[in-house]
Amino acid sequence: MEPRKDFHQQLEEMYLGLLRMSNRCLEIIEEARTAFLELDGAKAESVIAADEDVDDMRYSLEEAGIELIARQAPVAVDLRTIIVIMRLAQHLERVADLCVNISKATLNLAGRASLSPWIRENMDEMFRRSARMLSCAMRAFRDRDLSLAADLYEMDEKVDRINRAFLTGFDRGSEEELELVIRVVMISRFIERIADHAVDIGEHVRFLVTGSVREEDSGDQGKSGAGTEA
Amino acid sequence: MPELEHKMRIEGLCLYYNGFKALEDISMKVYCRRITALIGPSGCGKSSLLRCLNRMNDLVEGARVEGVLELDGEDIHSACRDLTALRRRVGMVFQKPNPFPMSVFDNVAYGPRLTGRKSRGELEEIVERSLRRAALWDEVKDKLRQSALALSGGQQQRLCIARVLAVQPEVILLDEPCSALDPISTQRIEDLLAELKSSYTIVIVTHNMQQAARVSDYTAFLTIENQGEPGRLIEYGETEDIFTRPRDQRTENYITGRFG
Repeated sequence: MEPRKDFHQQLEEMYLGLLRMSNRCLEIIEEARTAFLELDGAKAESVIAADEDVDDMRYSLEEAGIELIARQAPVAVDLRTIIVIMRLAQHLERVADLCVNISKATLNLAGRASLSPWIRENMDEMFRRSARMLSCAMRAFRDRDLSLAADLYEMDEKVDRINRAFLTGFDRGSEEELELVIRVVMISRFIERIADHAVDIGEHVRFLVTGSVREEDSGDQGKSGAGTEA
Repeated sequence: MPELEHKMRIEGLCLYYNGFKALEDISMKVYCRRITALIGPSGCGKSSLLRCLNRMNDLVEGARVEGVLELDGEDIHSACRDLTALRRRVGMVFQKPNPFPMSVFDNVAYGPRLTGRKSRGELEEIVERSLRRAALWDEVKDKLRQSALALSGGQQQRLCIARVLAVQPEVILLDEPCSALDPISTQRIEDLLAELKSSYTIVIVTHNMQQAARVSDYTAFLTIENQGEPGRLIEYGETEDIFTRPRDQRTENYITGRFG
């Protein structure tokens, strides 16, 4: 019989719970994307309503983690896994919160504005890239793939670039309403934060694999994550 | 970081019990005024290794040690080595508290009496100092003349530590000192070890991995690959590293309970 079977089974359940949570977040991002592009108020409402489930998933993972730490005194890779799952759950919960923010802004625009092709294309691109980054970050976690986790920095730069384009892109004598401009810039910023959370998840993967809390080479790369600002 | 000063050095140590090889090629340093924990599954040779450190294995018929084992740079196996002097410098506390069937005072005074004539006043001073250092004085100061066997298990174990301290050792070896104690007594001993490490070099064998994680500065993991094979040192390093990011998969498997 494998020793500590129950403990490892509970750890496996936490792991699966986190994967379910990340899948749910990816669905929510997709829903927020279509809600925005179609300025669909009902879809935006559905994103806002889904937040409670995600919060609940995070609390459950946190409770499970605290219980395992208290009762099982985990060490080494087990300890790191529990810590990382709890941290990742927090990031995913923030991702869902950002989708709520996006959808609230979408609600304000629904039925009152129309999106230019330039906004639609770039926003679509940002949504897709951020979702792909989150998906990669979770795959890096699942496969303990440090190289994939490191790729996230480069992927993030592209999202940052589009975000910056939104800040400057409206200067060209655009005819868009001021409210639309403000809301689009806000949404762009929210999506950019989702990408930052993906980068942070990649950093936690590094801790999971190497056990090192600090970055070996402290370049500028780490600063692009969501950090404490999230 | 400059390397810490070491108190004992073990190099290529092998231990045989008649034809059976119990330990193979153990090399490690025991650092001054630090607590080193030896962990590993039953039969891996951790207690045997501990017993090598003050030549307790000499008492076992057919036991033979090969390799280097130094205390302050001197081989403890050199022919001229005085065994009593070695054991005074390297004291041992056993798994089961083993006070002598005599008074609390006489238990602690036993060593000092044995190693030289002392006046009554000197002995009283040594006994009080040792009991204080063992965090037992307040509990027994009014019953110094009572039998040590009347003390609780936890008190008896601290008495045994006081008995070791009375001869002013440099190294204290503890072989699962808390395995027969309740959690409160265990906590007292652990607190005591933390106190003592500022003055003594301590090596502890423990089956309780959390205890190793709590009290030690360095941890050595020993194991046997298969039954009948000798115990080997798999990994030795700072306790924090061993318990958060061990380098060897076998260490990881053992401490996370993936190996029996």
